[in-house]
Amino acid sequence: MSKESLLTDGIGINNSFIEEWKQQGKKVLGTICCYVPEEILHAAGVLPVRIRATGCTENSAAEVWMSPFSCSFARSCLEFLMNGTYDFLDGVVATDGCLMAGRIYDNWRYAGKEKTGHKDYFMTMIGAPRLHKEKTLPFYINELKALKEGLEEFTGTTITEERLRESIALYNETRRLIRELYELRKQDNPVISGSEALNITLAAMSMPKEKFNALLKDFLAQAEKREPVKDYRARLMFIGSALDDPEYLRVIEDKGGLVVTDMTCYGSRYLWEPVEMEGDGLSSLAKSYLSRPVCPRMCNLHNELHDLMFQMAKDFRIDGIVYAKMKYCEVWGGENVFLEEKVKKANIPMLALEREEIMTNVGQLAVRAEAFIEMIEGGK
Amino acid sequence: MTETKSDFNLYEYICGTVDSIYKHVEKKAPQSLWTVDIQKAYWDSVAHAKEEGKMVVLGGACAPVELFYAFDMVPFLLDMIPTRIASQPELAGKYVDIAEKYVPSSMCAIDKVDLGAVLSGDIPAKPDCFVYSSVPCDNSRVAYPYIADYYGVPSYCMDVPFRKDDNSYRYMAEQYKEIVEFFHQSIGLMEISNKTNILMKKIADLRKNVPCPLPGKLLVLNEMIPTMVGHPAMLKYLEAQYAMGKYMVSKGLGVVKEEKFRVTWLQNMLWSNTGILDWMEKEYGAVLVMDGFGYQETALFNDYYDKEDVFITLAKKGLALPMIHGAAGPVEDWIRMVDNIIEDYKVNVSMFIGHVGCKHTWAAGKIISDMVQEKYGLPTLYLDVDAIDGRYKSTEEIKAVIAEYMDTIIENQKVKS
Repeated sequence: MSKESLLTDGIGINNSFIEEWKQQGKKVLGTICCYVPEEILHAAGVLPVRIRATGCTENSAAEVWMSPFSCSFARSCLEFLMNGTYDFLDGVVATDGCLMAGRIYDNWRYAGKEKTGHKDYFMTMIGAPRLHKEKTLPFYINELKALKEGLEEFTGTTITEERLRESIALYNETRRLIRELYELRKQDNPVISGSEALNITLAAMSMPKEKFNALLKDFLAQAEKREPVKDYRARLMFIGSALDDPEYLRVIEDKGGLVVTDMTCYGSRYLWEPVEMEGDGLSSLAKSYLSRPVCPRMCNLHNELHDLMFQMAKDFRIDGIVYAKMKYCEVWGGENVFLEEKVKKANIPMLALEREEIMTNVGQLAVRAEAFIEMIEGGK
Repeated sequence: MTETKSDFNLYEYICGTVDSIYKHVEKKAPQSLWTVDIQKAYWDSVAHAKEEGKMVVLGGACAPVELFYAFDMVPFLLDMIPTRIASQPELAGKYVDIAEKYVPSSMCAIDKVDLGAVLSGDIPAKPDCFVYSSVPCDNSRVAYPYIADYYGVPSYCMDVPFRKDDNSYRYMAEQYKEIVEFFHQSIGLMEISNKTNILMKKIADLRKNVPCPLPGKLLVLNEMIPTMVGHPAMLKYLEAQYAMGKYMVSKGLGVVKEEKFRVTWLQNMLWSNTGILDWMEKEYGAVLVMDGFGYQETALFNDYYDKEDVFITLAKKGLALPMIHGAAGPVEDWIRMVDNIIEDYKVNVSMFIGHVGCKHTWAAGKIISDMVQEKYGLPTLYLDVDAIDGRYKSTEEIKAVIAEYMDTIIENQKVKS
């Protein structure tokens, strides 16, 4: 596999980078929700891997635990934890991002108790406030302090301020590179498709950042040699619940809708806004993670989320929005009540879809995507 | 977003419904009038607040109701609307349908009714302010902030942490301080609040008696506590309930002639069909003795003059509310609660009558029912219902599932004996 295709074709959940890491006797922790600041794990010498369920085709064992009324993304993540896909993990760090994220953690503790109850398996959940305001910041900082202390005890590594700052700098470099990657997508004929871009951000979550940054730098340096995408019919923005499966975007793109940007936590919202150093490392991380508009879980950042979305819509010159809500994901599903009128006012066509983690309705998705693209073309 | 403004006044309608119930009970069962007094006192206070020159404060979960009373404001907890009208499927359905134009149908019907009622224009006047929080769930995190935006009145949102420890209490207490800038006026109300909660605990303890002296339906009515804790009418209601329960216990009486089964429901109440509880009592001698979202015990104010203690107590009370005490945090809190219920209330039938909108509790259902099976040898009946939107499942369907389960239990008992 070439360096380029490592990034654009998907490196897989359990990949050679993780194997290499483990062979060095180093630890890997899974993270649930993007409100876990990975920088702290990195500073402890741990490889953070964002838990996902890309390519999941079966989640019935997890359904027994979480019921059919739970979000299928959460169910599928639990399935992968239960079926051994994540056996390489030395533990899990979660936040109460949404209630389903919390339940992946709860259920894994019970369903996998032989593993999770072992002293060498690190399990912790930190509280991430759902409000961005003065009073919530010290609480979050304390939660991050507790995480730091727990990791120090688990790894035997002291997370010094210097180590933390180095990790923040490294992650800021990842953020810069990802933004640079997205810059390519602003072109009239981008050299990268939406599904390829999603594979790249997924890779960022599944391998050491040092290696990822080097690979992405190489990719960006060589990008102009790539074949530009010319045969698309509409430029689209993808927004909605956690999307960790590039195949979903590929179905839309096969119908001529080029996804040029997104507002999802496995895409642009993963690592974007740089962490500005204001005071110590933990406080800087807390400020940054709490203030960035990522997910409608935050009760008072709806407007910021929408502002960013409309700015992106303008910068990436989109023709339409694909808004895909995971069934039983109420935070993104309910966001429509805040969003619908604003999108109408902005005169941006929007396709609202409900989806499941397991790709069972590809045919219907293709038909709806094509009809949407035709509608956009008709309105041009 | 606004629906067509109608002349329908939801407050007047509910007051009218409660008045009809009042007249009916007054005529048929005057000894039970206290069960309606509390509803009348509440809805009248909301409907007539403006005439009396009082401010109405809209509240979400964890709203410090005692403090609103201290400021002579009328608290109006949004979730009282769905629970009150759940027994009227046409009205509840109307609001659900309005909400579903904007939010997914999978969203909890409690929040859909909240949203639909607000958007319908059936609520006659804007509240003066809105105090809500980031709990109990992902559904309310959509409905509450939107309603705050929609009304455009001054609003305060409190962040509620998932753990129940000292750090969390301090964190919430700090936010309660932001809600209230002065304090001395609340002393009298805290006394009433303490009395209310002491009575609540005593009533919960009465239900531990075999036979259970109080009907399952009162557990539903007791859910008005967060709306009126600190109000004299609530105290009066609980005093009457306690007196009745105490009398029954002193006479060795149970709510049914022959109590055969002591049931716990592990999840929400079935507001859309509370008659099921009467039917279970009558048909099977099966009494709902306590439910997983019910009231048992909460923190009391220790020192009314110690500001820190007052706010910490408010935080403890906030985190001990139904839907928050068991379901909004780590699953261990809920496990502990169910464990205590089964042991203390001598439960021998376990049911998970699960409201479909409450997805995060469904997602912990197996952990809970496994504990019940492993520790007590009780299997748990699972049944999906919509606690608010009665159109989801008919009474007959619900009865059929429960009846089949109860018949199996009875059959097994026969085989064993």
